[in-house]
Amino acid sequence: MSDKAISHDYLNGLVFELEKAFWDERGRGCRFRMMEVGRGIYENDCKDRIPGPEIPAIVQVVKAVLLEKGIVGDVSYAQEDLTLRISVQGCLHLPVEERMLAKGIEPFTCVPANLIIMGIEDKLNRQVELAEIKCENGVCQLLLVVFDRPASVV
Amino acid sequence: MSDTFTLAEATLKAIQDRRSIREYSPEPVSDEDLDLILEAARQAPSGENAQPWRFIVVKDEATRKKLGDISGGGSGRRFTAEFMTKKMQQRFATLEDEAKKKAAYEKLTSGAVSMFAATAPVNIIVIGRKDVWDLPFDTSAAIENILLMVTALGLGACWVIAPCIDVRDEIRLRKLLNIPDEYKAVSLISIGHPTRPHRPRPRLALKDIVFDESFGNPYYKE
Repeated sequence: MSDKAISHDYLNGLVFELEKAFWDERGRGCRFRMMEVGRGIYENDCKDRIPGPEIPAIVQVVKAVLLEKGIVGDVSYAQEDLTLRISVQGCLHLPVEERMLAKGIEPFTCVPANLIIMGIEDKLNRQVELAEIKCENGVCQLLLVVFDRPASVV
Repeated sequence: MSDTFTLAEATLKAIQDRRSIREYSPEPVSDEDLDLILEAARQAPSGENAQPWRFIVVKDEATRKKLGDISGGGSGRRFTAEFMTKKMQQRFATLEDEAKKKAAYEKLTSGAVSMFAATAPVNIIVIGRKDVWDLPFDTSAAIENILLMVTALGLGACWVIAPCIDVRDEIRLRKLLNIPDEYKAVSLISIGHPTRPHRPRPRLALKDIVFDESFGNPYYKE
C-alpha cells in the first residue's frame, strides 16, 4: 500500500459524490439517516474526555478534538434557552457543502454538529435536533434544538 | 340490503376508502382479522420474489407506550426544527384561522401527532432483510396491502415512519424489539377500530401527474 498522502480534494470529491448519491436516493429524507456519521470519532476521541454533563464542556472537547485533527479552524457557540447556535469556521469539508449548494441542495449533514449532539445525548440524556445548516463565506452556522425528552427511551 | 361490487369495483372502493386513522376505540383487533391482514402483506410482490419482509406484532401495553414515545420524540424533533426555521409557518400560510394554526403547531412540535401507537390495540412493525436489492420497495408493497386489507375489514390504520426515519430512533426501536442488524426497521402500522369517519385528503388530478411517452406531455388532455 502506498504511503503517499491523499489530497483533501480527492477525499472531499468522494464525499460529495456519496452525499449526492444519497440525496438522489432519499431527497430531503436523507438528513435523518446521517446522525450517526462521526460516531467513531465521538466514541474513540471525545466521549471519555468530556468531564461532565454540561453543554459548554461538550462543545469545548469537540472543538479541541476537531482542532487537533485539523478538521476545523474554530468552533464557537451561543446558547439561548434550548437552542444552540454554533459557528464552525474553516471546516475541512466546506468544499463538499459548496458543491452541494451549487447543485441547489441544502447541506444536510455536519460532523461537528453530530459530535456535539452525540455528547448531549450521551452526557445529558437529552434528545437534540439539527434544525439548520447554513454555509456562507467560509463559516457554517448550525442551529441545534435541545429537548426535554430523554435520549434513552428504552 | 348490501351493495354488490365487481372485483374491480370492490378493489377500487378499498383503495378510495382508505384513510390514515390515528384514533381508535378500545375494542381489540380480532385474531381472524389480524390473520387476514398478515396474509395480505405476505402476498405482496417483491424483487426476485425475495420476500424480505418480516412483521413484529405488538399488543403489549408497555411496549406500545414506548413505541408511542419513540414516534413522538422523532416527530416532535423534526417538526420543531421545521417551526424554528419557519418552514412550518410557510406550510400553514394559507390557514387563516389562527386558533387552528396554533393547535396544529402544538400538535406537530409536541410530537403528539405521532404518539397514537400507544393507544392502538395492535401495531405491526415492518422490517426487511437488507441483503436484497429492493428492500424499500418490497416492504412498501407489503405495507400497502396491509392498509387495503385493514380498510376492507372496516378497521383503520396509519402508516407511521416516525419511529424509523431518523437513524437514532431506528436504533431505539431495534433495541426495544430486538431487531438484528441484518434487518432494517421500515415502518410501524397502527391498527384498530376507528372512532369516527374521516374525510378524504385532497389528491392531485390525473391530468397533472400522468405523461404520455415522456415527461412533460400530458396523457390526459384538458
